[in-house]
Formats: sequence, C-alpha cells, structure tokens
Amino acid sequence: MTATSMATAASTTPSVAGEYLTFVLGEESYGIEILKVQEIRGYDTVTKIANTPAFIKGVVNLRGRIVPIVDLRIKFNLGKIEYDEFTVVIILNLGGRVVGIVVDGVSDVMALQQEHIRNVPELVSSIDTQYILGLATVEERMLILVDIERLMGSQEMELLDSVTVH
Amino acid sequence: MSIDMSQFYEVFFDESDELLAEAEHLLLGLDIQSPDMEDLNAIFRAAHSIKGGAATFGMMDMAEITHVLENLLDKIRKQEMALTAEHVDAFLAAKDVLKMQLDGHRLATAVDPEQVADVTMMLKGLSEGVAIAPVPTLTAPVAAPAAVVSAMPPAAPGLTRFCLDLPVLNERDDRNLRDELGLLGSVSQHVLADGRSQWLLDTDSSADDILSICSFVIDVDQMRVSREDMPALEAVAAAAQHDIEVGLEARADTKSKSGVEVQEEVGYGLFETLEQDKVEEGYGFFAPFTPHPDAVVTTMIGDETPLPAAVEAAQRTTRQPEKNTEISTQKSTDKLSDKPVKKDNEKAASTAETTSIRVGVEKVDQLINLVGELVITQAMIEQRIAALDPVQHERLINSAGQLMRNTRDLQEAVMSIRMMPMDFVFSRFPRMVRDLAGKLGKKVELVTQGASTELDKGLIERIVDPLTHLVRNSVDHGIELPEQRRARGKSETGQLTLSAAHKGGSIVIEVTDDGAGLNRERLLAKAQQNGLPVSENMSDAEVYQLIFAPGFSTAEAVTDVSGRGVGMDVVKRNITAMNGTVEIRSVPGLGTTISIALPLTLAILDGMSVSLGSNIYVIPLNLIVETLQPRAQDIKTVTGEGRMVHVRGEYLPIIALHSLFNHDTDITDPTQGVLVLIEAEGRKSALFVDGLVGQQQVVIKSLETNYRRVRGISGATIMGDGSVALILDVPAIIQMGQSHNYITGAAAYASRPPQTKEYTQ
Repeated sequence: MTATSMATAASTTPSVAGEYLTFVLGEESYGIEILKVQEIRGYDTVTKIANTPAFIKGVVNLRGRIVPIVDLRIKFNLGKIEYDEFTVVIILNLGGRVVGIVVDGVSDVMALQQEHIRNVPELVSSIDTQYILGLATVEERMLILVDIERLMGSQEMELLDSVTVH
Repeated sequence: MSIDMSQFYEVFFDESDELLAEAEHLLLGLDIQSPDMEDLNAIFRAAHSIKGGAATFGMMDMAEITHVLENLLDKIRKQEMALTAEHVDAFLAAKDVLKMQLDGHRLATAVDPEQVADVTMMLKGLSEGVAIAPVPTLTAPVAAPAAVVSAMPPAAPGLTRFCLDLPVLNERDDRNLRDELGLLGSVSQHVLADGRSQWLLDTDSSADDILSICSFVIDVDQMRVSREDMPALEAVAAAAQHDIEVGLEARADTKSKSGVEVQEEVGYGLFETLEQDKVEEGYGFFAPFTPHPDAVVTTMIGDETPLPAAVEAAQRTTRQPEKNTEISTQKSTDKLSDKPVKKDNEKAASTAETTSIRVGVEKVDQLINLVGELVITQAMIEQRIAALDPVQHERLINSAGQLMRNTRDLQEAVMSIRMMPMDFVFSRFPRMVRDLAGKLGKKVELVTQGASTELDKGLIERIVDPLTHLVRNSVDHGIELPEQRRARGKSETGQLTLSAAHKGGSIVIEVTDDGAGLNRERLLAKAQQNGLPVSENMSDAEVYQLIFAPGFSTAEAVTDVSGRGVGMDVVKRNITAMNGTVEIRSVPGLGTTISIALPLTLAILDGMSVSLGSNIYVIPLNLIVETLQPRAQDIKTVTGEGRMVHVRGEYLPIIALHSLFNHDTDITDPTQGVLVLIEAEGRKSALFVDGLVGQQQVVIKSLETNYRRVRGISGATIMGDGSVALILDVPAIIQMGQSHNYITGAAAYASRPPQTKEYTQ
C-alpha cells in the first residue's frame, strides 16, 4: 500500500482519479487519498511537546507507537478549535511514517473520475497550491483534494528532521 | 540420504575464525625470550584443528599451509628450535594467509596466490633452517617389549609415557603415524613377533589426543593406548589405568580376531552394551553409568606425591570436558583448582564457549521487544493495583509484587544476552598497533584495561570503526618516533592505553597515548586557514574539538596510515549517532586522551517521573544526583536574574522546566516545587519541576520514528495508564538552561520567529 501511494506521489503527472476520504474543516470540504488512511479514531489526550508550533498538538500512544498529532484546523485557520467527543483524528500512514490529523468531521469515501477534477487556479491561501492535487465538484460542493503526503512531508509542517534541518 | 554439508561448513568457518583469532592473540602475547609452553601448545592445537577441518572439507590449500605451519610450530614447541621474532612474524603472516583463504572459501573473495606461496616458502625456510637438530628418540634401539618399560629412561617430568599397541601397519601408515605422533612427543617403537608394533610415546598430551591423532592414519579400534607407570606403582596403576584408558581399544581377545571383524563389532562402542568399558567409551550416554570411585581415588592418592606427571595426566584426562565426565569427581575438581589461576580462567572460558549457542540477532531483538512490551503491561497492572484497597486485595497485590520482580529479572536476563565484553573490540588492536608501529618505525606498547566491561552488542559493533580510527591516529600522530622520544627524555617505547569502564549509566572508553599531545597553536592556525570560526580566547577543550571538523588535519605529511583529515569528523558523527559524546584531554608533550562516553543500552532506562502541570516527564535516573525541596534562603540570584540554589557549599543554576518548555503550571516558586539536581558532561544544574511522581523502568521509544528530534527531549515512553511521557535529554537541558533568560521567561523557541529551525539542533 505504501509503495503504491509513494509511487503516485512521486510521479510527475499524477493521475488524481481514485477513491478519496472526504472530511470537513470549518466550511470547507477536503479529500485525501483513501490508501493513505490507516484508521480513524476519536481525539484522546495528547502529550504536549515543548517548543513546537501550535498546530502540532503533541504525541499519542497508538498501540505502542508514538504518533504525532497535527491539528489541520489550526494550521489552515479554519473552524472552531474545540476538542470534544465528536472531534476526529485521521491516522495516516505515509510511506511507513504514521501521523494523525485532527479534523472537524469525516464525511464520506468517494470515487472520483479524472473528468470530475479541475486544476487549481493560482491563488493565495494558507497552504501552497502545490499541495493541492485538484478541485472536484460533488453535489454542488467543492472538494479540495490535498496531496497529504507532500503536505505532511513539507518543511512548513515541521514533522520531519530532514526537511527542517536544511 | 543426502546431508546438507553447508551447515558443517559454517561451523568449520566459524570455528576456524575463532581459532585464528585466538592464535593471533596468543602469538602477540608471546614472550620471545621465554615463551610459555602452554601458549605454544595452544597455538599448535589451533593450527592442528584447522588443518584437520580443512582436510576434511577438501580445502587442501589451507591444509597444506597449516601443515607447514604445524611442523615449524612443533619444532619450537619441542624446543628444537629457539623462538625468534621472525618466527612470530611468519606465524602472523601465515594467520593472515589462512584468514584470506578462509574468506576465499567462505565469501568467495580473492586469494592472492603469491602471498600464499611467499608465506609457505618463508615457513618452510624457517622450518628447515634448524632441521639439522636431531630427534633422538626416533632412533631408539629396538628391544623386546617386556624389557622396554624398565630399559627406557623414565619419562621427563611433566611428560607421561604412553604405550601404544598397534596392529600390523604398512610402511606408509607407519611413517605417517610416526610423523603424527612425533608432533606430540618423542616416540620409540618396537615390533612384536607377529608383526604388530608397540610404541612408547613420551608426551604431555592425553590419551585422547593420541587417539585423535592416530585416527588420521589408522583405525583406532585396532589400537590400544595405555599409560606406562613407574614399576613401583604398577599395582595401583593397573587400577588407575582402567580409568585412563579412554580409547576405544579392542578387547584383550582382539588377537584372535581380524581387524575387520572388530571394526564391525565395535561400531564405536555406541551400540554395545555388554561390556562396561565400551559403555563408558560411549561417553556414558547410552547406558547407566557405573562409576569406579575406587579407581579414581587410588589414582589420585597413589600418584599424588611421587608422580606429578601422572597426576597431571590424570587431570588432563579429567579435563576433557565432554568425554570424561564420569571421572570428574569432587576430588579431581579440587585438584584442578590447584592449577595457576590463569589457566583455570582459560579453561573456564573454553568450557563456556562449548556450551554456547548461536542465535540470530533478530530473534534476540524480538525477545527484547516483547519483554519491553511486557514491562509496560506490568507497569499498567501495577498502577491499576495501586488504586485498590490493600487490605481487601492483599493477595492480588502480593502476586503483582512477585510479577514485578520476575519481570525485572526477566528483563535483566534478556538484556544481558545482548551484552558483550569490550574484549571483542580490544582484541583486534594488538595486531593493528604492532603492524602500524612497524610500518611507521615506532615502538608502541599497547595496554588494555577493563576488557571485560560489557556493552550492548549493537554498540560494540558500531564502536569498532571509530575506535580503530582513534587508535590509528594515536599511533600515527600521537606517539613520536623513538629518537624524538629519547630527545624529550621519554622512554623509546610509547604507551597506548585502551580502557573501558562503567561510569554511572554509561560506559567510558578511552584511548590514551603518551605522545606529543595536541598543539593548540597549530590547531588554531590550521582552523583559521580552513576558514573555521576561531578565536584566541577559546578554551583548550573547544580548540581540541576542532579536530572533529570535516577535512581537518594538522599532519605535515599525508601517510597511508592517516593524515588526510577524513575520519575524525566521521568518528564524532558515529559516536553522536549512538547517543555518545567525545571528549579530548591533552597535555603538550605528555600525551592525549580521547574519551568516548556511550550509553549502556539503547532500549530501557531507569527513570524518575516528574510532574510539570498536567504533564509527566521522565529523567534518566543515572543523571540525577539528588532531589531536594529548597528553603527560601538557599535560593540566590545574580544581578537579580540567574537564580541559583546553594547546596552543600555549591551554587548550582536553577533551570525552570516550565519556563524552558513554555508550560503552564501553578508552581513557579522553587520552594514549592522540587529541585532535581542533574549532572551531565561534568556540569551540574538544578532542574525545577512541580513534583516527583515515582521511579520506574521505562522502555525508550523513539520520537523520530514518526516525528523528529526535539531539543531537550531524548525520546518518549508509554506510562502505565497508556499515556505518553517524554524523556528529558539532560545534557541538552543543561545547555538550554544556560542560554535561557529567566526574567523575560522567554523560552528558546518563543523568543525567535516561529519558522526558524534552531531548536531542532
């Protein structure tokens, strides 16, 4: 699974068609490749790590593994930052590295064809458009397809040593 | 039935590897003027075992060279030839060739035929150089066997005389056998009327050795080895002999049978149950063993005073651990302890080797991981139980206590599997230093200390390369040439010391030379030349650290040994990767010490849990000096800023963890919290936390697996309740504490723009 997902991310003209897990951040809908999702769980107490950006909530124990939790709502400045029994954490497996993301809610899994997907126009947002694979329209709603592996591996997420040091 | 030969090859390769290493070790330890016979014998045995194995597996190249080697060794062993430095060199060269050949067979690496030929020539040359020395006993006159015992001069002290009854031999076997036995001692032979021979052999080897030697040439079932004793003791000896006859000798009625019949019938004695002797020869495995206490006691008493040689022979027999378990009574064990301590240790070591098993590292690692999980689970149970009413649940609590002890023991036992003595690393240096010193024209004496200090196998393997580099550097750059040393009033022979010792929770490995020391001025000049940021005000320790900068070398000439300036940075990097530190101490003209401190193990830590607000942190217990609740009058400040605590005459800086980590906590006054005195890299500080939670062993989990390094945090662990606690990186905390401003309360991170990466190291 990880091998194929990495290959997809690495290819220069990615075919973005495929199954996506959609989730909600504030008023917006986002989609990430279903193959990168390991599991979905509720929000547990995290152990805060000192001197890290606010969107890195800390680490949790996921069956013996120490997994960092990122709150995308803080990172993208979206939604109300509340933690209750409805707060959802999507556990991602990105090439062997396990990361959890906090979102407002998980909606659906959707199969998208290439013709549903539009390119992203140049615009200003809190994430670089290079991390957006495309935009899809589903039932009058716009779905933002995020290249989650590139985003999580990027320097601004500060999740990796190799990127942050250089 | 097909047999998978590869497993036997592996065993042979492993064994040969060990034997070669041991031989090298012994060779290097030889005192050329007065070599220890025991060592020479051991070297000889190593060569002989390799020869036997190589011939069995058809590796004739190795068999050939070991044969030549063995011949030469034998002459020296029998003192027909004096040991010289050339001999040792030749032996070492032969060891290299054998190693090369072994690798050739094992890994299909290239074997240099020229080198093989050279060494063979050298060994042969040396061997023939003194071949004129006669072997007197070989030409002993033929006499009637009955007369032999009394006619022959008694065996020299330390030697035992064995009488070998041999079947009819053809000329070739006769010659081979004589050659082989000649390796053990001096041989004289007599031919009996019916064509059989009886040989007398004066040797310090055991009957087992003789039999195994003979088995190369003839069928041992057809021969009989017995010990010849002094006539006066014949009566006792007869009884004693019964026990010492370890060989699979044919019965007294062999005469009437043909050799073939005997061979079929005996079947190595494994399946025969009718004759007591043969049962014993089956190593006591196949039938209930009937001991001969009388015989043993008689031997010991009878031989004790008048015949030290016989006692020794008996002891030797008893010391064959696998074959003679039946004679190892308390009595003979007592005897053994009379031997010099050194030999005892060696014996113990060799016995330990034979009882070891080879297990894949991944299996051990899996075991360690499982035990790690078990420790977590156990801690979880312990925590649940702590909440129960101790009266009502007394038995449960007791059981849990037992579980805790067992878990801890199990964990220690499992961890010790991975521990290996430093000797594993140190043993490779004598040879390297010797060769290097020879190449550079220097005289170096290598001293090792604390070779038995144990370290995790993973670390042992990773320390080899850095340490090799440091040793090479010390010999090349540290120790001066003999003339220079003399000019400076030092002894011509430089001393290189390798030491390992436990200090707190880490192991400290030091490479010390008594050479020229580091030259501060030259280091600074060189650093400036290389464009490194330096100033005259730098402390010596800082200046010395410059040699770890990439591409830094002050050597005037690049030699093929070192001086290219590659390496020291790699050394530093390797050691840092193992969570270790390198420190250099040097006095110009007197020498340099490079000190490496490594953690003992990588997986489990004894920790003290401390609370800070709602968070729990774990401090490695070995870095904690003490904990205390300060009184207000002990807290001092400097210019109203840096807070310090006055403990037993010392002023220690207070590092407030909540401020360092930007945590919310209600306790900001040290007198209401707890000060944990921590020490790392020779610096002490007082870490101010809210309170102590408890002491427990924790399994270290890497943060980096899914996240990244965080300054001040060395890892994470899972607590009893399943939550994650972070383990403090004490050296980093002390460092951070020094650059932290307490008045503004600004933490290292917050005082900088959020996007800077300074906190990531």
